[in-house]
Formats: sequence, structure tokens, C-alpha cells
Amino acid sequence: MRRLPVYLLIDTSGSMRGEPIESVKVGLEAMVSSLRQDPFALESVNISIITYDREVKQILPLTPLDELQLPEITTPESGPTHTGQALKLLCERIDQEVRLSTPEQKGDWMPLLFIMTDGKPSDSQLYKEMIPEVKKRHFASIVACAAGMSARTEPLKQLTDEVYSLDTVDSTAFRKFFKWVSDSIGVGNRSIGATEELVLPPPPAEVNVII
Amino acid sequence: MNRTDRLRNKTAGKALRINESARAIEKALRLAGVPSSDKESFLNWAVVSLWDTFKEERMNKRIIIENEIRQLGLRFPNGTVNKEYSVEFELPTDKISDIRIVGAEELGLTLTVGDGGICSLCGKPTAPGDFSLRLLYKTVEGEPVSELVVPVAFNPDPRSIWKNNKTKPGIPYYKPDTDSEYIKVKAGRDGSQRKDIVAASKRGRSHAHEGKARDDHFSLYHCDESDWYILAVADGAGSAKYSRKGSEIACRTVIDHCKSLLIDNPEFEASIREYEADRDNQEKRTNLTRHVISIIFKGATTAHEAIKKESARREAETSEGVRLKDYATTLMFAVCKKYDFGWFIASFWVGDGAMCLFDAENKTAKLLGTPDEGEFSGQTRFLTMPEIFRDPDVVSKRLRMAIVPDFTALFLMSDGISDPMFETDKNLNDYAKWEEFYNNLKAGFPDDDIDGVDLSDDNESSKDQLLGWLDFWSPGNHDDRTIAILY
Repeated sequence: MRRLPVYLLIDTSGSMRGEPIESVKVGLEAMVSSLRQDPFALESVNISIITYDREVKQILPLTPLDELQLPEITTPESGPTHTGQALKLLCERIDQEVRLSTPEQKGDWMPLLFIMTDGKPSDSQLYKEMIPEVKKRHFASIVACAAGMSARTEPLKQLTDEVYSLDTVDSTAFRKFFKWVSDSIGVGNRSIGATEELVLPPPPAEVNVII
Repeated sequence: MNRTDRLRNKTAGKALRINESARAIEKALRLAGVPSSDKESFLNWAVVSLWDTFKEERMNKRIIIENEIRQLGLRFPNGTVNKEYSVEFELPTDKISDIRIVGAEELGLTLTVGDGGICSLCGKPTAPGDFSLRLLYKTVEGEPVSELVVPVAFNPDPRSIWKNNKTKPGIPYYKPDTDSEYIKVKAGRDGSQRKDIVAASKRGRSHAHEGKARDDHFSLYHCDESDWYILAVADGAGSAKYSRKGSEIACRTVIDHCKSLLIDNPEFEASIREYEADRDNQEKRTNLTRHVISIIFKGATTAHEAIKKESARREAETSEGVRLKDYATTLMFAVCKKYDFGWFIASFWVGDGAMCLFDAENKTAKLLGTPDEGEFSGQTRFLTMPEIFRDPDVVSKRLRMAIVPDFTALFLMSDGISDPMFETDKNLNDYAKWEEFYNNLKAGFPDDDIDGVDLSDDNESSKDQLLGWLDFWSPGNHDDRTIAILY
């Protein structure tokens, strides 16, 4: 069966501790239940979650939506944000998990990437090096979200044109953001084909477009 | 001894025993040196403190067992409504008893606790959603019932949540959500059967869910004067906003183009006969190819131009900023004619889907080209891409000619059918898969209440059967489906 791989990269650095990360969890739960209402998503969406702080972990390997159970997300007290390392792991996992078409097998749909941060990469050199690598992986769309006032949008702009920001890191903002993510996944499901770029649905009021 | 006497004796015995215990306690108190003034308060204190210790120990036992149960990390996998659900897990029944799950029955699940603590929760979930199941059990006699909450999620049955929203007739380039056609070709003068054409096209569930239009198209034609059959199938790109018009223009244009060149073309027909009579003759082959290019290949380029013209027209008349790629469509078409020596078939194909000459008698399935597919699903090439025609190998890649004694069916289909039915290129080249496909077409899918198609000569109702057959279920495959069959 053809899968639509969706990779979520979530910043779990110390500053996300407490309300922000709890809000992310609520948002993720809402996203999963909303996607389950979509018959097309139910049969094709596969989700993977990578968290990054000092450590980078794939806490959820690429899993079909209907089997998915959200894992625990933990945050350290403090420490650096290894965004570059996260992109590196992402590329490795993509190469492992995403199937390309061959005469013997049907390839997956082009994957989607959503990356969320409330700060900036601490490993900026590696981050820079990984950008061309990420671009080689042929994502149908890369959506970056700068959450909260101390999130830097410039590094994200190097990764993708689709950069959005959230003014606050509370549950309302994250719920709206992940609702929009699930709507975007729904679009991704259907409009892959002739046009290279994916047209995302308009973001809600809480999500600002960064130009 | 009567009943009253027996009772009297029993009571007396009891009293005797209580007296004995009381004397023993008295003795112990005396030995411990408890003065008689403190006797009562000491006894009260002793009972209360021992009772507390006893209760505490019992509670601790319960808590230890509860922790043990919690540490089992019991998790139930997700289920799907109306689909058999079954999960097995093990509980330490030497430590706990009276195990039950509150909330399971309402969801259609039954818990069975078997030997050695092997438990199973089975059934068919009745409702979708996220639920909390309460696993209740007893640990120590006298302690309250313990509880463990285990979340479980049931997905809706995907088939039950598809919506069917009609396409709004007011949209630009409106197209009906389904189409079907049967072309009955009467028996020859000598009474011999002649092949008919049937085709059906249906909007995919993913489009129906969102009220979007069908992007696929087909056109059929049989020329009574010349006996040429022409079939065309086009699949408009899902992401291109006017691809429904692109596919329509593509089909119509090639039919019109070929029709006008085939109705009375003695040179072309002569070139076919000459080639057939002397197949090794290079000159005859070149001559025939020249004709086929002017009819078939020219048909494809004319279709490309016609779409370009329409996009330019709309661009000029509206302020939408219309581009050619908004009309992106694939295209496959074939012209066929029966001669005394057999069938001549010529075809053109750009994009995905499948076009195949199927011969059940000789067990062959000949693909009339190669589907264009990229590394990822959904990547293909379109008639609307100018580079298609700039490719120096375009003729050898996309044009096909064949002469065969006879065949069972010529199939043209969009990827909405070929993807679920064949999945891979390898399967498309496998005769066994085509035979399976043909059988599925005839038998339908009885488990899913999908009827088969009766492909016997002159069966005009086969167009409705074919349209119904297009509703077959295949997880993840809900694209528009179009098929044309010459048989």
C-alpha cells in the first residue's frame, strides 16, 4: 500500500519544559484524532516523531496512523538544541524508512516534514551542512514553525519557504497549529502530482506567516 | 437431647472457652507486671495499635501488587470498528482475583481470564474514538478493589466515513461525476461477430469526499464506413486545477484527428497490407511508420496544441493567471482495425495507467508502451509537458504498432485501476496478473457486493455493470477510475 510519510521534528529543549511541551502533547493528540476521521489519511498517513534537545531521538518510528499510539515526550532541565543533529537523524531515517518505486514495489508518496522550535540551532555548523541534504530527500513540503518570542525564524528560512510563527506557546496556539498541520496532511494526501509545490490550506489566526 | 438442650450445651462450652482465654490473658498481664488499674486501657491500646499495623500491612500488600500490575505496562493496540479485535496479556492470578474490565462490554469486547493468568480481550469494536478501559481486580481480602486505567483507541471503519458530495454544476469546466458508453458494432454481412467497445469512468472516493470534479476522461469511436475503432483514456492530474478539461480536450482531439484521417485513407491501409505481406522489408516498414506517425503521433501533438490553445484562451479571457500545466493530463489512445490477416493496432501513451492487448487463448498480455513513473507515487509525465515532444526518442518510446491474429480484449485504464490491480511495473508485465485481472472483472468482488461484468458480445448493459465494478475497494487507492475495453 502506498504510504504518505509524515515526519514531525519537535524541539524538546529545556525551554519547552512545562506548559509548552504539555501543550504540544495536547496538540499532537488532537491532530491524531482529527486525522483518524479522514478516510484517506487513515489508509495512507504514516507518522514519525523525532525529538531534539541535547539528545536526538526518534521516539516514534514511521507508523501507520491506524496503529499509532503517541509515545511519552520528555524534556531535560536545560541544555543545547541540536537541530542540526535532528536533521541528520531525519535524513538517515528517511533513507531507511521511505520506499522508492522500483519495478517490484510501489513507492510511497513524497514525504512531508513539519519542524517546530522555540529557539535556534546550537549546532549551527551542522545545521547548515544538513540543509542541502534535507533538500535532496524530495519532500513534497517542508513546514517550519517558530514557537514563541525567542524562536529565531532566519535559520528556518534557509530550510524552507514555508515558515510560520506562533506568538505564544500555550495550548490554544499549539492546538490550532496541529489542527492546521492535520489539514495540511489531508491536502498532501490528495494533491501530489503535477505541480511540484504543495498548496497548503490558509493557516489559522494564531499562526503567522513569515515572509 | 432435644434442640434446646443442644443449644444450651453449646453455649456453655463457648462460655467455658472464653473463660479459659480470659484467664490466659490475666496470667500474661500479671507476668508482664501490668497493674490491674491499667489493665483495661492497656488492652485497648494494644488492640488498636495491632489493628493499625495489621491494616497497614494489608494495604502495603495491596500497593505492592498494584505497582506490580502497573509495571506490566499494559497497553492495548488500536482497533478498527467492525474488524475482529483481539489482544492477549498475562496477569498474575496467583496474586489478584475477580478481574474484570469496566467499559469493555459497551464497546463490543469480552474479557476472558484463562489458566495461568492468560487473559484475552476480544470482539468487534462498535464505536470509533479514544476510550479509557478500567481494569478492576481484587488483591487482598478486606482491601478495596484496585483499578488500572488502560486507554484504547478504535479507528472508524474507513469505508463508513467516505462522503459523497456532488460536484457543483457551476464550476468552470463542469463534468458529470460518472460517464459510461457502449458502442455496439453489428455482426458482419456474413453473420460473424464483431468486437464492441465499452467504457466507464467514475470520480474517485477522494474527490467525492471533497465534492471535487472527476479529472479522468474517455472517448470512443467506431467508424462505420472504414471499420476503424478508436479508444482514448486520459487522466487529469489531481493537483492541476483544470485537468478535467485537459483530459477531455486530449480525448476529443485525438478521436477527431484520427477519425478524419482514417475514414478514407487507402494509402495507409495499403501500407498496412504491404507491410503484413512482407514484414522483413525495411522500406515497407518505414512507409507504414510514416503513416502511423502522421495519424497517431500527430494526434498526440494536436491534442497538446489544443490544450495549449484553451489555456491561452482562458488566460486571455479571465484574470486568473492560467498556465498550461493547470490542464495537466496523461493520455493513451489506440486505433484498431480487423483485416482478413488479423488485427492492426497502433497506439500512443504518455503517463501512467495501463494499455494492454490481452489474449486469453494464447496466454499473452502485451503492454502497448511503458508507464511513466517516478521514484515516488503519483509522479508521472503529462501530455501537457512540452519536453515530452522534444525527446528525440519520443516516437520509439511512446508509439506502438502491432499485428495480431486476434485478441480477447484491448484494455485502456487510468492508474485509478491499474495501481490497485497491478501495483508494480513487474506485475503489469506478468500475464498471470492480467488473467487475474480479467477474472476479477468478470466475477466482481462478491465479498464486497461488487458484481462482475458480462463481457459477451452485444451486451449493452455491460456499461452499467462496468460502472458498478469501478466501486471496488482497495485501501489507499481512491483515485478516479476509467477503463475502456475493446472486446
